[in-house]
Amino acid sequence: MSTFTDRADAALADPLLKIAVERTAGTAEAKRAAAIAAFPDFEAARARAAAIKDHVIAHLGAYLEEFEANAVAAGACVHWASTADEACRIVVEICKTAGARTVARSKSMLGEEIGLPHALAEAGIRRIETDLAEHIIQLADERPSHIIWPAMHKTREEVSALFKARHRSPHEEETIAAMAESARRELRMQMLGADVGISGANFLVADTGAVCTVTNEGNAELSLVPPRVHIVTAGIEKIVPSMEHAVHMLRMLARSATGAALTQYTTFYAGPKRPGDRDGPEEMHIVLVDNGRTKMREEGLADMLRCIRCGACMNHCVVFRQIGGHAYGGTYPGPMGSVLTPALDGLKQSRDLPNACTLNGKCQEVCPVRIPLPTLLRGWRERSWREGLEPASTRAGLGLWAWVACRPALYRVATGVAMRAMRLLSRGGWIARLPLAGGWTRYRDMPKPAPRSFMAQYRKERRG
Amino acid sequence: MKQRVALFVTCLVDLMRPRIGFAAIQALEAAGREVVVPEGQTCCGQPALNTGDRGHAEALAKQTIAALEPYEAVVLPSGSCAGTICCHYPELFEHDPEWLPRAQAVAGRTFEIMAYLDEVCGWRPDSVSLSASATYHDNCSGLRELGIKAQPRRLLKAIDGLSLTQLPGEETCCGFGGTFCVKYPAISNAIVGEKAEAIEATGADLLLAGDLGCLMNMAGKLHRAGSKVRAYHAIELIAGMGDGPAIGEEA
Amino acid sequence: MSAREAMLARLRGAHPDKAEADALLVAPDRRAVDEGALETEFLARIALPSVSATHDIIERLDELPVAVGRYLEQQGEPLTLCLPPDPRLSACDWSGFTLRESAAPEETAALAIARKGIAETGSLIFETSPHAPMLPNFLALHHIVLLAAGDIAPWLEDALLPGPQPRAHYWVTGVSGTTDIEGTYVRGAHGPRFLHVILLR
Ligand code: SF4
Repeated sequence: MSTFTDRADAALADPLLKIAVERTAGTAEAKRAAAIAAFPDFEAARARAAAIKDHVIAHLGAYLEEFEANAVAAGACVHWASTADEACRIVVEICKTAGARTVARSKSMLGEEIGLPHALAEAGIRRIETDLAEHIIQLADERPSHIIWPAMHKTREEVSALFKARHRSPHEEETIAAMAESARRELRMQMLGADVGISGANFLVADTGAVCTVTNEGNAELSLVPPRVHIVTAGIEKIVPSMEHAVHMLRMLARSATGAALTQYTTFYAGPKRPGDRDGPEEMHIVLVDNGRTKMREEGLADMLRCIRCGACMNHCVVFRQIGGHAYGGTYPGPMGSVLTPALDGLKQSRDLPNACTLNGKCQEVCPVRIPLPTLLRGWRERSWREGLEPASTRAGLGLWAWVACRPALYRVATGVAMRAMRLLSRGGWIARLPLAGGWTRYRDMPKPAPRSFMAQYRKERRG
Repeated sequence: MKQRVALFVTCLVDLMRPRIGFAAIQALEAAGREVVVPEGQTCCGQPALNTGDRGHAEALAKQTIAALEPYEAVVLPSGSCAGTICCHYPELFEHDPEWLPRAQAVAGRTFEIMAYLDEVCGWRPDSVSLSASATYHDNCSGLRELGIKAQPRRLLKAIDGLSLTQLPGEETCCGFGGTFCVKYPAISNAIVGEKAEAIEATGADLLLAGDLGCLMNMAGKLHRAGSKVRAYHAIELIAGMGDGPAIGEEA
Repeated sequence: MSAREAMLARLRGAHPDKAEADALLVAPDRRAVDEGALETEFLARIALPSVSATHDIIERLDELPVAVGRYLEQQGEPLTLCLPPDPRLSACDWSGFTLRESAAPEETAALAIARKGIAETGSLIFETSPHAPMLPNFLALHHIVLLAAGDIAPWLEDALLPGPQPRAHYWVTGVSGTTDIEGTYVRGAHGPRFLHVILLR
């Protein structure tokens, strides 16, 4: 398996990726800034959004039971899954019982997290991804590189080639509009003919038992209304107490994600088709998925359960903007992914993620639910250090330095010697190659240290 | 009686560029403060803290707290080290009934130098002049942990002949990130490369910031790229020491 | 132990205090809306590029077919319309139109009545019922919406229905769009490419 550093290096070497990421994330950043400037008191609104989610997480058990009771009253079946495998098994089972051959899927990061595409394939069920970006990803047989724009890493040229090779009547004109039209033609009949529609949930509303999805394409509705069965897979943290609370969260979500006041289509589904209804599924199933969330709540990551998956943290992350989403190697990229992936996939194979961050705090600044992402990343670093996962060289180097720094007298002598040695390597005020700090001097010069430290000069001056 | 303030110079300034420490003293004295440099200081422990080495982070924090707690005010010429003391020391000792109050007390009296001069002293450089154009990079910890944004600009505006050009992306991280820049050098380089281009594009003579770590990163990249932009800690200019050697220039 | 029991066992805690949850709804932080000029606000909002709806105004319900015909002609579309079985609509005189009860996969236009219009965002609010199918509003190229001017309300909160919910409650705030290829906006990704509001005064 490739390492994070390998993947990051490959990403940095890809000039197209940089352009593609910059186009989408840069636009999102500018639009978000404009939307927030037009909002009267975004800081207060963020505080309130965080408080709503904290309240829910503190009372999660009771709210899940309330949601379940109301969803059942509306005619839905509610299932509970502790693990990703269990969730997939439940979904596949429902599909099989319904005799489903094809499912239309509306983009859901939880579905990616639990490996649903794979599970459906194993069960021999044909999966139609209906979100345009997910459709691109499916054709390319790749994984999403962003939670809002899964195909962010693809340039128009790449998408064009893909559609020409795979669509039945592909676009002729080389415009993005023509490509989107080609996908529309390709997907429409497939969506209408699906046996089962599968979605995630942006919110689960406790007091009504409704499931809320938001899309700009309207693909959720087109995937979920025609089929006989609608299956929702949702993380248990998606609960909000009431519709009013959902409204506030929706205001925050759209602005943070794309800079719009609201997504184009916002739908609350409560149960299956009612008597006399002309459309809608005959069955609605909701799978409430834990997959490590209760553990996160118990083990110091409760703040992370506030996340509403808006993607603002990655759009504003200097590291993400350089390496894109795939380099992170998990389901979720960027700052939120660097907190979640160690919890989902284990710290051992993902210890690079919390470390590959400058802790500049921009993600926390833009997060609509004020998740202290840098603090949570520091928490993982601490655990990684404690568990001995950090490289021996780092441990030895930092350990030695810190040990000396705890002994001021020794520190003055030792650093004096080290700085003199460094000065020997300099030419004209700069050091171009520095042993042990090759990472620095490979790309930049290091200024030459002072001949004598501040403390030495100051002491001498004061003594007169 | 003059108010006494303790200066914590930070390990980088101590070893790499002492003139920032002397500039701090000069400015503080001009603002009517008596400056003391506590002996027991070395490093605030930020590298250990950010690497997850909690044991050493706590040991260095305790050493620093003990060295600084006798003073009415503590001033640092670094946004990130001031941020460590103000924001992270209390977090470190969250569950330590003995050290938490001590950490909080020191945190409450600790200031970044330019915020201190501007907000606490209400001071402005007087008859300092330097004819140059400069651009300012907001270092992340100072900006986001301590809210340092307007203070350095207010102080710099009082310098005769200095014109400030806005740096596009002035609030974007320079890619230093402490040990990040040596652990993930290629990513760090890509970030600082863009920063250096943005600095160059302003056409300014000088790059200013409030943190030596970030300055060394940006100045080192600019120098490697053959740029003529010269880098200083803003306090050097504010203290009237902007005519000396820039970072990486021989004295 | 079932997954349900296992999960709930770990999530046990105090029952949520309704007052605490309600306190979080006090919302001084919403976008300002001039409540005295709801119609103007709403129309301005739907004209923004993010919603990009067109509109027409009628004084009486029986003018609706003419208004719909006018719109379709302007768009160069045939007078074909998917009409929900709503008594208010069937009362109108639709002679000259080819009407459809359910939407064809490539439906040209669908008409629907919005229960509310929201000035804050320019959203149109719908519910499903035996009189109001949902699919046509997502399939048709032109989504035509009848809205009574008196049903324009300031906030999204005003869109909510108390008590047990309809099968689907949905807000339409524009046309089907995507930015999935290079962040470039394209109209008519999967659903309607055009949204036309007919305001009944
Ligand atoms: S962590 Fe915050 S900014 Fe990032 S996706 Fe989650 S809610 Fe959005």
